[in-house]
Amino acid sequence: MIIRGLRHLLRAWRGGELGLLGFSLALAVAIVSGIAGFSDRLSRSMEQQSHHFLAADRVLKTARTIPDEWLAEARSRGLRTATVASFRSMVYAGDAMQLASIRAVSEGYPLVGELGTSDELFGVASAQSAGPKPGELWLDSRLFALLNLTVGGGAEIGDQKFTASQALISEPDQGNMNEMLAPRGMINYADLAATDVVQPGSLVSYRYLFAGDESQLDAYAQWLMPHLDEGQRWQGVRDGQPAMAATLKRAEGYLLLAASLGVALAGAAIALAARRYGERNTDNVAVMKALGASRRQVLTHYGVQLGLLCVVAIILGGFGGYGLQWALFSSLQGLISVDVAAASWRPFVVGAVTAVGCTAVFAMPPVFRLSKVSPMRVLRRGNDEDGAGLLAGALSGIGGIGLLMWWYSKDILLSTTVLVAALVIGLLASVLVLYLISVARTLLINRAGGAFRIALAAVYRRRIGNAFQVASFALSLMALSCLGVLRTSLIEDWQLQLPVDAPNHFLINIQESEIQPLDTFFLQHDLKDAGLYPMVRGRLTHINQQKVSEIKDIDADSGSINRELNLSWAKDLPDDNKLLAGRWWPDAESKNTGVVLVSVESDLADKLHIQLGSELSFNIGGQLLNAEVSSIRSLDWASMRPNFYFMFPPNGLENYAGSYITSFYLPAAQKPVLGELLRQFPTFTLIEIDTVIQQMNTVVSQVSTAIGLVLILVVVCALLVGVANVQASLDSRLQENAILRTLGASKKLIINGLLMEFAAVGLLSGLLAALGSNIALLGVQYWVLDMELVWHANVFIIAPLIGVLTMCVLAWVFCRQLLSKPPLVILRQTL
Amino acid sequence: MIRVNNLCKTVVTGGQQLDILKGISFEIKAGESAAIVGASGAGKSTLLGLLAGLDNASSGDIFLHNQNISVMNEDQRAALRARHVGFVFQSFQLLPGMTALENVMLPLELAGHRSPAAAAHVFLDKVGLAARSGHYPRVLSGGEQQRVALARAFAVNPNILFADEPTGNLDEHTGQRIVDLLFELNSQSQTTLVLVTHEATLAQRCGRTLVMHDGHLREDTAGVSVAQ
Repeated sequence: MIIRGLRHLLRAWRGGELGLLGFSLALAVAIVSGIAGFSDRLSRSMEQQSHHFLAADRVLKTARTIPDEWLAEARSRGLRTATVASFRSMVYAGDAMQLASIRAVSEGYPLVGELGTSDELFGVASAQSAGPKPGELWLDSRLFALLNLTVGGGAEIGDQKFTASQALISEPDQGNMNEMLAPRGMINYADLAATDVVQPGSLVSYRYLFAGDESQLDAYAQWLMPHLDEGQRWQGVRDGQPAMAATLKRAEGYLLLAASLGVALAGAAIALAARRYGERNTDNVAVMKALGASRRQVLTHYGVQLGLLCVVAIILGGFGGYGLQWALFSSLQGLISVDVAAASWRPFVVGAVTAVGCTAVFAMPPVFRLSKVSPMRVLRRGNDEDGAGLLAGALSGIGGIGLLMWWYSKDILLSTTVLVAALVIGLLASVLVLYLISVARTLLINRAGGAFRIALAAVYRRRIGNAFQVASFALSLMALSCLGVLRTSLIEDWQLQLPVDAPNHFLINIQESEIQPLDTFFLQHDLKDAGLYPMVRGRLTHINQQKVSEIKDIDADSGSINRELNLSWAKDLPDDNKLLAGRWWPDAESKNTGVVLVSVESDLADKLHIQLGSELSFNIGGQLLNAEVSSIRSLDWASMRPNFYFMFPPNGLENYAGSYITSFYLPAAQKPVLGELLRQFPTFTLIEIDTVIQQMNTVVSQVSTAIGLVLILVVVCALLVGVANVQASLDSRLQENAILRTLGASKKLIINGLLMEFAAVGLLSGLLAALGSNIALLGVQYWVLDMELVWHANVFIIAPLIGVLTMCVLAWVFCRQLLSKPPLVILRQTL
Repeated sequence: MIRVNNLCKTVVTGGQQLDILKGISFEIKAGESAAIVGASGAGKSTLLGLLAGLDNASSGDIFLHNQNISVMNEDQRAALRARHVGFVFQSFQLLPGMTALENVMLPLELAGHRSPAAAAHVFLDKVGLAARSGHYPRVLSGGEQQRVALARAFAVNPNILFADEPTGNLDEHTGQRIVDLLFELNSQSQTTLVLVTHEATLAQRCGRTLVMHDGHLREDTAGVSVAQ
């Protein structure tokens, strides 16, 4: 049967009927497995890249050392490990001394990423794959400046003497801004004991780094979890870096959406091609039946043909998909600095399942309809179009697309949002088109000119087909506009967060008396600060009169409890903050009742179980301050602006000694200015976040390029729908136009009529797509990508324009052949 | 071979009931050749379709090869056609995706013939197209296409051959050659022939002429109706 099927397949292929269907199917497999593979590998690459931010794949954070067996277990499972101990200590150089944040790093650190050091202060970093050797001390450039130390000079930490051999420019796990407050130093872990700085009870935190295969890491995590106590935390890149996590999550969400829409579009193209395949085989089936073929024989004949076509498409499409992945990654070569994660089988399975699913859902219904064709058709052509069957086919197709998207994205919300929008648009399009066509016919048929009347008549004759055509083309345009708009707003969103001249250095500890001299300094060096923000350092001690350290089920490692926090005040809500609950400084209350109000960041409020009305106590330089929570805010962690967990009204902190914080943009070439600045203002604390911004920018540009490329692939899918769409009506047009030409219609008249008809289809599709994409985008922005809700009015211009242009070009390309054949030849063939 | 009792066919078009066949009865014996003639719209093609089991009658019985096809379902009728019936159509109805040989092989394959290719070759040879067996219908002339259709019809050795205006799409000369070939093959295989035609000369070559008029059928013994 297979051999016979192959023979039939070959016959059908030679006959040209299977070409478009096979091509659509293979292209669908190629595109789906290409996008799936690309986004799969890309997201793994990005994850790998982002592991640089941890200096490892996973980190165990703890306040105590862990048993050696835990590390031995990790190594026995093939994982690489390293240890980092962080503590604060004085660094001495001659008579100068300075409090610094020191890290003792073991052999192997960093497991992922590189350290950057320089022989010059604030110099250009050269990459180091390992930390300092025993006896060496690497210091922050500003610490060299503060200690009046030169590279190669001697310094002491506790009882141990070191050579300050390198200026530490960048660390992969630089951490967030709060961790960068103190100037930093790095020593070898082997020297830690000799310093004698770490005593029982000292405030030391340990980070145990692990790197290896995902499966090994997961297996180890499973083994480790039962051993951990409350204060010990196992972290991946997403837990430790909220800004990076948000960027990655959005990028992944986008790629997933793009691939899902790619699947849906490919499905629609296959559905259209299969419909045409069915139509073109209707006469053949009638002949076969007249010659004695049973329904089962017809089903077997076409079923085997489709099955084999599907297998061929999977094989060819699989190769195509692999080629596509390769091409995509080649174009990203310059951007992706890490090794591209190896290809996996999943995309090919996705491609194969897509092909089988599409064949079953889209191509089999026309074959079932074929098996019902009346053999009487050989004697008298009747209208075999079965309205109920078509509707059932369309519904099963849409359901099939939904299932495919769900299976692929594993995200019921995403697939439901897109599917519901698609259904609404599809139905709306069909109803609207049918209505418009009948209205236009009634109103214009007797008034319109030649070409227009031909177009109108053609549109009316094919109204069901046209409704289907507008619906499917509107859906593909809708998918494209969604992705186009989302891509633009995602990238804009990221770039907005990280503009080129965004402040990349922070200065804190600025006293009121130093503001004027600092202004002069900035003026001299042509620098511009981004304004001054007041800041008071304080520690949160009580929540509702209960000691924070004694409150049960509070995560003691929240970071905000064991250290001093920056408290600030502001009259207005900062730009990138969002009020989630409560009100922002109701004037009357704060003045009259004497109660100090405070606004709390939402994540911290959740962690510490703080609610509106909770009473918080702060210790600010030995003085106590009680405040009542009046609002809960969310922050944009992806921004590089100063963010404050606790904010007070302008008069709330007036009795407490505070200082100011400012930020400014410093081009890399001007880095040496920092030494001068710190010498002139030794009490300032300088925080350099330029390397962090650079890391973020790399990821953003990489992700932007990637989603741009994926968008191009989806455009190919959408074009395929357009081609299938135009081809679907080619046969009936062929005959119609031959008759028109025989009756004396000029080529020009026919072409104008044709272009008008397709332009109308494109225009309507575009308008509907603009409406649908805006509706879908609101859903996707809200539920899937967690972005601000924006209505995109410009889509109402762009989508119809693209619709009209695409349809007219496709009509011109494919329908020209209608006019190049002599009418007699066509009429003979189609009689 | 073919027996028809009180056959009626009614269709509803545009909300109106239309009686196409109004109680037709006749019999055609094995080996006979009969032409069904009549004006356009008289119901000739409807009758042919019903006789071949391509459509269902509204009432009445049709016995084909001693089997009542009126009580059969579509698949049973198809099976009967595969074993006993051959077809020749006005518009040839060759499958465009298949070569001449493959078109002739098709009914043989459907009937489960053991070596369809060899049998198909024999019949292509009989119609003088052995040399063009690998050609597709689109490169064959109308006459050649109808010869392939004749080969396809006779390849399964049918007991009954239905022909619907077999020369309707051909010029006079070619049509004549096709008719000669049709009758030659028919006499070789002793097939019962039922053909629908407008052409008097073609009808006159059949043993009997049945005239359709206003849903009724009558035997034309003088050949007058056709000449009109």
